Amino acid sequence: MLKHTRGQLIAGMIAAAMLQVAHAAAWTLEEAAKPYSGTTIRMVGEALPPLEALSKLAPQFEQATGIKVEVEMYEHSEAVNKVQLDLNSQRGRYDVIIQPHREMGKFATNGHLLEIAPFMADAALRDPSFKPEEQLYQGAWKEISWYDGKMYGFPFTVLNMFMWYRSDLLADAKEKDGFKAKYGYDLAPAQNWDQYRDIAEWFNRPDQGLYGTALQGKRHEALWYEWLNFLYSFGGDVLDVQSGSQCGPVVVNSPQAIASLDYYKSLLAFSPPDSLNYFWDDVMALMQQAKVAELIMWNDATYAVAVDETASTVVGKVGFDIVPQGEGGKIGQLEGWTYLIPTYSKNPQAAFLFIQWMMGYDRQLEQHLNGGASGRPDVYESADVQKLPYAKASMASNEYGKPKATLPQSAEMTDILVRELSSSLAGEKSSKEALDASAKEISTLLGSCAPMSYPAQ
Amino acid sequence: MTSLPVTSNTSGKTRGAFLLDRGVGPLLVLPATILVVIFLVGPFYYMVYTALTDLSFADATRKGAFVGFDNFRRLMRDDPLFWNSFLLTLKFVVVAVAMEFVIGFALALLIFKYVVRQRLLTTLLLIPMMLAPVAVGLIWRLLLQGDFGMVIYYLRAVGLLAQNAAVLSQPDLVFPAIVAIDIWQWTPFVTLVMLAGLMSLPRSPFEAAMMDGAGPLRIFLDVMLPLLRPIIALVLLLRGIDAFKEFDKVFIMTGGGPGTLTELVSIYAYRVNFRNWDLGYGAAVAFMVYLVVLILCSVFYKAVYWSAKPSSGLPAGAKP
Repeated sequence: MLKHTRGQLIAGMIAAAMLQVAHAAAWTLEEAAKPYSGTTIRMVGEALPPLEALSKLAPQFEQATGIKVEVEMYEHSEAVNKVQLDLNSQRGRYDVIIQPHREMGKFATNGHLLEIAPFMADAALRDPSFKPEEQLYQGAWKEISWYDGKMYGFPFTVLNMFMWYRSDLLADAKEKDGFKAKYGYDLAPAQNWDQYRDIAEWFNRPDQGLYGTALQGKRHEALWYEWLNFLYSFGGDVLDVQSGSQCGPVVVNSPQAIASLDYYKSLLAFSPPDSLNYFWDDVMALMQQAKVAELIMWNDATYAVAVDETASTVVGKVGFDIVPQGEGGKIGQLEGWTYLIPTYSKNPQAAFLFIQWMMGYDRQLEQHLNGGASGRPDVYESADVQKLPYAKASMASNEYGKPKATLPQSAEMTDILVRELSSSLAGEKSSKEALDASAKEISTLLGSCAPMSYPAQ
Repeated sequence: MTSLPVTSNTSGKTRGAFLLDRGVGPLLVLPATILVVIFLVGPFYYMVYTALTDLSFADATRKGAFVGFDNFRRLMRDDPLFWNSFLLTLKFVVVAVAMEFVIGFALALLIFKYVVRQRLLTTLLLIPMMLAPVAVGLIWRLLLQGDFGMVIYYLRAVGLLAQNAAVLSQPDLVFPAIVAIDIWQWTPFVTLVMLAGLMSLPRSPFEAAMMDGAGPLRIFLDVMLPLLRPIIALVLLLRGIDAFKEFDKVFIMTGGGPGTLTELVSIYAYRVNFRNWDLGYGAAVAFMVYLVVLILCSVFYKAVYWSAKPSSGLPAGAKP
């Protein structure tokens, strides 16, 4: 009996496998899209190279499926605000929205998003060759496109920040000798924050138009993003939780966090005088103009500095590495924009087909080579991507990325921290005062799930 | 309508008068009334209603339940950021509008007295006013950019700014900078309006004063200023309201920072409403701003026209 059952089981498994193979062989995008041919899907996102690359690829999809794709591009805040208003009006203007993952909690808890699992389970829609559980960075995907254990989409970009440094300056023999004489060790890309500050101090020569580093100190999200790298690396955090969708004790005023802000502020001495009004565009321009020795910057801005000779004077003179290590070890903040399908979409199946098609290797590679930041590790392994000077640093940073809060209140938490960090940089408050005030406000905002681990005075 | 020449009935009235007699008049203003209700009155009442709710687009548990005056209570008692931004805005309005008025009026007097080709000059004066506030913000952000900005370069070159200093990052310079840029943009408006006022003044009071032996200062204080009072009131009122609503330029240049040093109340309201999506509380902030502007305007308007009454020939307090 048992033998018979085992035989049946094996036969069943073989049959299932054959069916799967047959289905894989049978499934085509053209066939799957037939019921939706002639429809139009409209999508919205941030006006940056990855979306521009997508809009150039979209005609291929249109040709194969007969589904028309319209892409709307806006500046960062505008792209977020437009989506928020559209979702609340429930008009269903957009079939696909591309949003920063910090918005996930707000959208998911308000019922604005469709879960992806039912689409993935639909054999008519699912491309059997698309296996996100094998093909994507699992940590990044689950942080960027999931909320509270539910899958809502796939990463449009996996963003992180890493260290840019002037490799030509660090390789200069005269500089090496002088540095070693002063600091007692060899000049090389910083591995920890002490070395990072030493290098910034050594190369800070404002009279020669060169600054040691460049901070993004404007009252802007850029400040919060940048400081998170320091916070995590020093062993601190905002909330004591394991994932972005969890609420937990507030620890943003821990001794590690205060030390990270003190350290961050100490770098102001080696940063341009207008640093309190600089954000990512400004510091990128400084590096492009060879005015800064090292800084912490975004992976999706790297192409314009390291490769684009029409925009940068330092092509071939910049090196890249992960964020220096502190008590928190190898770590950096993880960010990403994600494909999502609104509940009010008029063509959700067509939208899913397009997203699935965009997640294919060829499109991901094409998008990545044109300024994107793919969520597929195999894209980074391609020979073309490996030629990019920042490929290794970008790939390593993807491994060490740490999630941030994606709770519904995350935008307000960010706003609180940006304001308090900016006040501290401007000298209105000490690091402790600023972070104590942040902790109090965040704890009040989140309520009983977020007691303060370090009570403020 | 009464000027229509066509007679339409036996009584000999014009068609317009006939229609008005039949009560058609209100119908004629109906389209404008509908527009005002849709675009002004309706949204205003909706804002007031929203201010009495807990509506939030971020928090799924706050669907717009009625909370009475809770938002206003929080605003008055527990929100130092609102009061900080509110007082900063008052400071901005007083300093900027006062400077714009003094400089603009002085320029108008100079142009009125000494410039022959006034039309050309007034056209040039229009340029800063014609720029969109967003464009002004972007232009000045670039001009004051610490490493590539042209204005910064020259300020450092002539020694007005230290080599290691920058305007928009310097806590003691950033507020004067945003005031100065507002003055740059709006002083020409004051100049143009005051110039038009000067051109419209009658000659006879000035000739009479001169014949009575009044000097230039006495004529300026006792003849010109009283005659210009309605124009001055109008300019100050318009500029005051506009300055109170200042948003675009400052938001683009500083984002309200460093810290809260340039966070005007409109920027604060924007953050509450469109960053945090706390719409119930945000509506309360907006309503408070509206209320304060309304009170200021009405007090100011009454003060000007109350003291203007005696010059109309009636003693103060007497009924016309």
